[in-house]
Amino acid sequence: MISVMTDARERLLTRARREGLEAVGYRVVDSPLGPLWVAVGPRGVVAVTYGGEPDARDLARIVRAYGPGVLPDARRVDPVARELDQYFAGRRRVFDVAVDLTPLTPFQRRVLSATARVPYGDLVTYAEIARRAGNDKASRATGGAVGANPIPIVVPCHRVVATDGTLGGYSGGLDNKRRLLQLERGAVPAGGWPKSRS
Amino acid sequence: MSVPITFGELLDRHEREILAYALRMTGDRDDADDVYQETFLAAFRSWPPPRRGSERAWLYRIATNKVIDASRKRKRLVRMADLQLAAPDRDGVTMADLAAAVRALPAGQRAAFVLRRVEGLEYTEVALILECSEEAARARVSEATKKVREAMK
Repeated sequence: MISVMTDARERLLTRARREGLEAVGYRVVDSPLGPLWVAVGPRGVVAVTYGGEPDARDLARIVRAYGPGVLPDARRVDPVARELDQYFAGRRRVFDVAVDLTPLTPFQRRVLSATARVPYGDLVTYAEIARRAGNDKASRATGGAVGANPIPIVVPCHRVVATDGTLGGYSGGLDNKRRLLQLERGAVPAGGWPKSRS
Repeated sequence: MSVPITFGELLDRHEREILAYALRMTGDRDDADDVYQETFLAAFRSWPPPRRGSERAWLYRIATNKVIDASRKRKRLVRMADLQLAAPDRDGVTMADLAAAVRALPAGQRAAFVLRRVEGLEYTEVALILECSEEAARARVSEATKKVREAMK
C-alpha cells in the first residue's frame, strides 16, 4: 500500500505541476538542528520552519500571497537543501538562493531585509537592526519582527542579540541559536555573548 | 481539526482513504490510481471545499463520481490481490465471490455499500457523499446488502 501510495502521489503531483496548480513547493529537509520544513514560492524561499511542520501563521500568509496551491515538491526545494547542507558543514557563508519576503508586511520586510544583510559570524543588536530598518524608535516592534522571521537560518536572525550582550530570544529555541552562533563564531559563552560590537 | 487551507494539507489528510476507497470501488490498481488522481485534481481545480469542515465528504463525492464515470467507460475483471483490501471476512465465502457480487451492484448501490459496510462511514456521511437523503442512503445499502447476500447463496 505504501509504495502504491507513493507512486500514485508522484503521478498526481507531476500532473498538478504540469497544470500550474502548484504555486509553492515544499519538503522536509534534515539538518543537524532537526527537520526543517522548507517552502519555495515563485520568487524564492518563503519559509524555513523548525520541527519539520509548517507554522499555521506562515501558511496562512503564504496562502494569502500565492493561493492554496502549496504542494510537496522535493526537487524545487533541492537547491535550498543543498545550500543548507553546505552551511551546516561550514562550507557556505552566504546563501545564494532568493528569499521572498512578499507575504510579510512592509515593516517586517524592512526589518528582515536589514537582518539578511548581517554578515556571517557578525552580531548586531535589535536596536541596531531597528536603526538600519529606519525605525530607531521601534526597537521592541523590531524585536517582534525579527522573532517572527519565517525564514530563519537563511535570513540570519540568529545574528541579532540583545543590547546587554545576552543572546535575546529565538523562535527556534535558544539552543539552536547558540548552535548556529557556535558554528559561525566558535564557542558561545554560557550567559550569551559579551557586549555586541555594533 | 482545522480546515485545510492548502492542497498539500488536503492531500496529507485524505489521500490514503481516498486511494483505498478507489481500490475497493474499482478493484483494480490502475483504475484506482486514475480515480485518486482525478479526484484530487478536480478538488484542486474547484477549490475551496463547498462547506467548512466538509472536505472529506466532498472528496468522497468527487471520487464516487469518478468511479461511476470510469465504470461507464469500461468494465474490468477484478484482481484478487487488490480485493484482499476490499472484502470483509466471512466464513465459507471466497474473496472473489464477494468481490464479484459487489462489483455486480449498480454504481450508486456499490458506492453506498462500500462507504457503509467497508469504510464504516455513518449514514449521515454516506448521504452527504452520495448527495441523497439519509433514508435513501439506508435504502441503497439495504438493497445492496440484500443483493450481495442473494449472490452469496
